[in-house]
Amino acid sequence: MATDSATRAIKTDENRDAAGRREIYLYALRRFGVYLFTLWAAITVAFFIFRLVPGDPMNILLGNLTRAEGRQRDKAAEEAIIAQYRQIFGMDDPLPIQYLNYLRKAVLGGLDLGPSFVEYPAQTKDLVFRRMPWTIGIFTTSVLLAWIAGTGLGALIGWLQRSRLSRLAVVLSTLLQITPVYLVALALIIYVGYSWRLLPAGGPYARHLQPAWTWEFISSLLTHAILPMLSNIIVIGAGFTLGMRALMISVLGEDYLTFARAKGLSPFTVLKDYAFRNALIPQVTALAIIVGATLNGTFIIEVLFQLPGLGTLFVQAMGLRDFNTMQAVVLFSIFAVLTLTLIVDLALPLLDPRVRRTA
Amino acid sequence: MPALLEIRGLSAGLQGRRAITQVISQIDLDVQAGEILGVVGESGCGKSTLATAIMRLLVPPQVLQSGSIRLRLAAGETVDLLAISESELRALRWRHLSYIPQGSMNSLNPVLRVGRQMMDTLIQHGLTSGEARARAIEALELVNLERKLLDSYPHELSGGMRQRVIIAAAVSMRPALIVADELTTALDVVTQRQILQELAAIRDELGATILLITHDMGVVAQIADRVAVMYAGKIAELGSVHGIFEAPRHPYSQGLIGSIPRASGQRVEGLPGEAPSPWNYPAGCRFHPRCPKVFDLCREHAPELMRQDSGRWAACHLYDDEVAAHA
Repeated sequence: MATDSATRAIKTDENRDAAGRREIYLYALRRFGVYLFTLWAAITVAFFIFRLVPGDPMNILLGNLTRAEGRQRDKAAEEAIIAQYRQIFGMDDPLPIQYLNYLRKAVLGGLDLGPSFVEYPAQTKDLVFRRMPWTIGIFTTSVLLAWIAGTGLGALIGWLQRSRLSRLAVVLSTLLQITPVYLVALALIIYVGYSWRLLPAGGPYARHLQPAWTWEFISSLLTHAILPMLSNIIVIGAGFTLGMRALMISVLGEDYLTFARAKGLSPFTVLKDYAFRNALIPQVTALAIIVGATLNGTFIIEVLFQLPGLGTLFVQAMGLRDFNTMQAVVLFSIFAVLTLTLIVDLALPLLDPRVRRTA
Repeated sequence: MPALLEIRGLSAGLQGRRAITQVISQIDLDVQAGEILGVVGESGCGKSTLATAIMRLLVPPQVLQSGSIRLRLAAGETVDLLAISESELRALRWRHLSYIPQGSMNSLNPVLRVGRQMMDTLIQHGLTSGEARARAIEALELVNLERKLLDSYPHELSGGMRQRVIIAAAVSMRPALIVADELTTALDVVTQRQILQELAAIRDELGATILLITHDMGVVAQIADRVAVMYAGKIAELGSVHGIFEAPRHPYSQGLIGSIPRASGQRVEGLPGEAPSPWNYPAGCRFHPRCPKVFDLCREHAPELMRQDSGRWAACHLYDDEVAAHA
């Protein structure tokens, strides 16, 4: 009779599989809908909020022109110039119309985000694409390295929770985690960069070099990237370490851990297949959550290390009230964060068999 | 015939900031080869601590205080489970002593398939993966489960099936001793009955010895040969199931038996009061505040577990001949 019920359970399993697949498609569809909605909301907020900031980009533009030409123009000429630029940028239309035009061009015009005010006639899209590799490179690499290091270290100190070394590591990571990333970056610049002169403290690569596929240029690029990435890794990694430690400790109290020990498995197998595998699932979710929060830190790091990334571009654009460029940077950062989060979310079912069915 | 498992003077407790609070005190217990020995008692009487101490799975703040647990191995030699190293113990686990934990519902790793969890242990103990698979299938059949389940994840199984998988895993290396802690607690009565029958069948088929920890007198009555009644961290009475159910000696056992509902419609008599927790075990006999037959000596001196007639042991001054002589 027990066999019967087991067979029946397996038969209904097959029906449930089909229903489960349907649910997964629906889930992915819903997830994608949320993704698009968030992007739209971000564009909208960015569009309106930057126009509320006091200061007229036209005046700043004019000031730049004046400085470049080295002479004062008369009032009428200035007004004519401003009027012409306002027309080019479509700023004479009422705000709602400007907004709709912006959306139309962005969606139908192949990501046409308008020209940059300050670097007119350069397209903001091109500016962003030129700067993006720096940000993506520094940001993704350092977040991934921080996640790997933090997950490994956290698993270890969670596993050895009662040892003295583990307690020391907890105190250290707590201190580092609450330190703002710019303080860590400044400390690295001051000590490692200037006092000890171990590594370059700023700039994308050595001044005398030109970008090329030569060993000299690539090594210069990499050594210049160490300190900015390290600042990110130290702070984010400390957070990941503490998170993973807490996850490990809670998994260590689970019944299946006791059973694994009772089975006579080696401590390494218990750690690897029973404790780590289970603690990893929420740790991957943590990666998705942290991705958004750390992008801001990366912007600050770019400015401190004078790297030509999106962060520096944003700060420049902000000073000049270059709405189009600011919007484009915001749009691309949110796009990057949302895409990474989406990837992590869709990857979870690979790790957790329970999500495969219930997702 | 010497006992398969000899527990002597086993004490364990909880490590507090300043002192250790003793949970089980000076337990002496022999488990005979081939028997099912039930250990019964109320919640908090220390029976699970006893099981985990035997398995050497106590985790802080639980600490072992003293005692020895000698397990007779097949070759006739004995080892003290508490004295050998972790790695020596690991080699004995599953081959000689298995564990069916309390909370079997959550005792399977949710991210690994059932087959992998059954086989990893077997492979660790030196079987090839082919042999391990054959053994796992054989063990599943012992508990009436199909081999298909090897490819399932734990969340795809019902509670009863999970419990059976745990039992199958625990018997897969044909261990001499199985410690089963609250085997059937989370299951409905029908499944409970089936699983107990399967366990008894496994005992007959494999010749295993089972130490069955439970709070359920019904479970004990159904499959145990002997029973140890625990109260407040000590054994109050030990004897054959028939003997204890028909004529309990210790006033606590009498109370327990009296509180089982009967078909005759007699009024159930409960025990007055509550079981003490380890932080306030009474002096003297730990049962004396609730004992209907208490006398002065009980308040001062703790009774020893003493042999009565025909394999019966009781820890009560009522049956102490010397006390009786003085009285």
